Amino acid sequence: MTSNLLVRGHPLGWSRVLLRRAGMAGAALLTAFLGSSALRADTTPTQQPAGYVEPSEMGTGSLLLKTVEPGHYLEAPRLKTDVSITVTGPIARARITQRFENPSDKWVEGVYVFPLPPNSGVDTLRMQIGDRFLEGDVKEREQARQIYEHAAAQGIKATLIEQQRPNMFTNSVANIGPHETVVVQIEYQEAVKLDGDKFSLRVPLVVGPRYTPPATVAVADVSTSGARVVAVSDPVPDRDSVTPPVLNPIFGKINPVSLSITLKSGVSLATIESPYHPVDVARTDDKTATVTLKGPVPADRDFVLNWKLAANAVPQATLFRETIAGQNYYLAMVVPRVGTTAPRRQAREAIFVIDNSGSMAGESIKQAKKALSLALQDLKAGDRFNVVRFDDTLTVLFNDAVPADAEHMAVAQRFVSSLEAAGGTEIYPALKAALKDTTPKDETRLRQVIFLTDGDVSNEDQVLAEIGTSLGRSRLFTVGIGSAPNTFLMEHIATLGRGTFTHIGTVEEVDARMAELFNKLERPVMTDLHVTTNDAKLETWPNPIPDLYAGEPVVLTGATSERAGTLRLEGRMGGKPWSATLDLSTAVDGNGVAKLWARSKISAIEDTRYHGTNQGDVDAAVLKVALAHHLVSRLSSLVAVDVTPSRPAGENMSSEAMPTNLPAGWDFAKVFGEDPSNPMIKASLDQKLMDKLASSEKSAASKPNGGVGVELPQTDAGTNLQILLGLLLTLSGTAMLLMLRKRTVRS
Amino acid sequence: MITKRRMAALAAILVLMSGVVLGGHGLFIRAKAAVAQVLLERAWAQTVETRRPVKAWAWADTWPVARISFPRLDRSAVVLEEAGGEALAFGPAHVAASPLPGENGTSVIAGHRDTHFDFIKDLKPGDEIDVTTRAGKTIAFRMTGSAIVHAQASGIDASGASPRLALVTCYPFDALGRAPLRYVVFAEPIGDRSLVSSR
Repeated sequence: MTSNLLVRGHPLGWSRVLLRRAGMAGAALLTAFLGSSALRADTTPTQQPAGYVEPSEMGTGSLLLKTVEPGHYLEAPRLKTDVSITVTGPIARARITQRFENPSDKWVEGVYVFPLPPNSGVDTLRMQIGDRFLEGDVKEREQARQIYEHAAAQGIKATLIEQQRPNMFTNSVANIGPHETVVVQIEYQEAVKLDGDKFSLRVPLVVGPRYTPPATVAVADVSTSGARVVAVSDPVPDRDSVTPPVLNPIFGKINPVSLSITLKSGVSLATIESPYHPVDVARTDDKTATVTLKGPVPADRDFVLNWKLAANAVPQATLFRETIAGQNYYLAMVVPRVGTTAPRRQAREAIFVIDNSGSMAGESIKQAKKALSLALQDLKAGDRFNVVRFDDTLTVLFNDAVPADAEHMAVAQRFVSSLEAAGGTEIYPALKAALKDTTPKDETRLRQVIFLTDGDVSNEDQVLAEIGTSLGRSRLFTVGIGSAPNTFLMEHIATLGRGTFTHIGTVEEVDARMAELFNKLERPVMTDLHVTTNDAKLETWPNPIPDLYAGEPVVLTGATSERAGTLRLEGRMGGKPWSATLDLSTAVDGNGVAKLWARSKISAIEDTRYHGTNQGDVDAAVLKVALAHHLVSRLSSLVAVDVTPSRPAGENMSSEAMPTNLPAGWDFAKVFGEDPSNPMIKASLDQKLMDKLASSEKSAASKPNGGVGVELPQTDAGTNLQILLGLLLTLSGTAMLLMLRKRTVRS
Repeated sequence: MITKRRMAALAAILVLMSGVVLGGHGLFIRAKAAVAQVLLERAWAQTVETRRPVKAWAWADTWPVARISFPRLDRSAVVLEEAGGEALAFGPAHVAASPLPGENGTSVIAGHRDTHFDFIKDLKPGDEIDVTTRAGKTIAFRMTGSAIVHAQASGIDASGASPRLALVTCYPFDALGRAPLRYVVFAEPIGDRSLVSSR
């Protein structure tokens, strides 16, 4: 299956697509509407019934309708998608508005899914289901749950988003009426990818299931009590090159996408390119540009925007400011001038710690040994090293770090190859031994602890607390081994240890992943970064500032009431002193800076736990920041409740009339404002598939009986209206008479 | 000038009169609903005694089928057969497409939100709802939950292996005019030991 791609064929009459991709320039789409003849594409039959999808397969925002078969869904037709993104320096704030329709004559339950980019979080949610409006509000976790449960018990529409996994976003939508429209608007913030000198932003647009499950989607069904969380790790590391999207022409035609990106780089822009879609680029000035999609665009690929900053114009520092309620939030992005040559290699003192406990048995210990062997070979003359191995016992190979000469290396390699996996996992003594630094004042060498483990331990807090207190000048790099390492712990060790986390899933990956790590270990661009002058009294995060590696800019956020002042950063670049001075008054406006600052602060507060702050204080501080900045966190959830404005009952709702009835501050116009000359194709699905849709259940008494249930009579005697109208008429009649009488008297 | 003023005065009087008539009609319907229940209580007493349908007044096109009471709210009403516009004016009505209260399945009883069922919104899960059948048997139900549904797609399944109740009124409660939505209170029998005979 080199360049041939297939969608699961459908034996029924509705059109499924056969999509082939020519392996050459671009993608040549060959779509065919298929007749009633059974059709199964040349390869890749799937186990799923045709037409069904699963939440983890979705490549873009999708509304999935529950069918009678649990876990299988039908995709609701997407009528319009609007994407609006503002990029400020390294932050992108996206607002996605999508309109769907229930194509059936049933009341159904749906799940809205959106594959969020990594390290991003939804902070705003607005939904319109038929004539009901729901708006998300961030509340304390327990309170949010209560609000949700109360609303659900009352039969009022509500949804709840709790933090389960950082890049998860799904939420259930109950009681979608026949042919009702559902509009979902979400806002999220993400960091723009910087690779070398190229900034890159990807917007997930691919309609229909992808061939491989995207890595970033996890599913939590928040409609039922208790969260069912299924995390999906990336089974296809180089998906970008191997995953051509699949297009269903039914959806494609009725899914016009409008997209607009405002680029505020703060620095002169050199090039802006959209590799897959035709765009209009309007340059406001040399630092700002607006990019819009040109004409109707088939949503068959993700939208990608790449841009580069003018090479000569790259200043050392760019400052962005966002002012909210009198407080100024700053984002400083400093690109250190590396010069024409690569940063000089620095001498190291490397302490390797390898886990040979029983949980590492089999494939994991093989990977760990291979990785460690490679790491030893990478040591250069002048470096020093030591090796520690642990299970429930501990061996420190040499009394102290030794020179990386042939003799010591040979001893170490023999030691490593003899390791066997057995016993318990006592990570704490091993960590303690590795952090023992006999020459803490040595500035000629970088002290790096490289930890190879599956992180299968239970005393996480003790381990993290040890790092908090005795890190010193050492840097901790974790290498996660095996298919299911404790990523949370290992990432946390790396963050607290001011190093990085590397995951190795299979033996084949060892070489590539370790090479990436060696590159970082040998060539830190900048170390020991800290703020020296701060006359505007900025509260800066992260603190401490992590070391920089090749291609990375310094990203520092701060909050202060001041609008002027200076901030001086100092560090060591390639072993030599480095500094940068920032003038706050030069800051340009930027969106999302406050939220970035708040996220940074929350993760810093979370870490104070490992420096001795008690849990209650940490929780209180995290909650305070999360609520003030409308963020979903460990202690706060997004709960959406019905905010439907009062409207005369019985008034007919039409989609044209809907925008005017939106709650204040809502903007759904872009998904309703269709060109009248281009009438919308009515959403429809194959009847046989629609028959599979499950009707919503309300209680034990309301099991669907194949139809719509007992028809209910009109239960308004109309007396309220009559009495009110009668009162109004009587009053106005009396008022008119009184006025007439007054005039008569005067004349 | 005079004719103009006279016409204005006439218009004002017309507006005033129509207001009185309309408002009066509204009040009349409410009064009728209240009076009917008094008459119905008498008919109900006879129904239970004779164990056969007794009409409250000679020209009535409906008859009592059950009596329903809500101890916590201290409210009660006589339920009429056939939920048409006529029956609903005099009391809550049993929807003919569903089983009678106390029979197996979900019995649907509808009432006007502005007259007989104006207190339905105050019911809370756990509240007791007592139903007396024509046979004179009182069955205690307990409210299990509520839902807001569309009148034409209630999702209420009338069949079932045990007696259940669904009390229905218009939603939203305070809105004016006809509405497509219904508020439904679901209730299930409390248990065998509470099945007590009233006589």
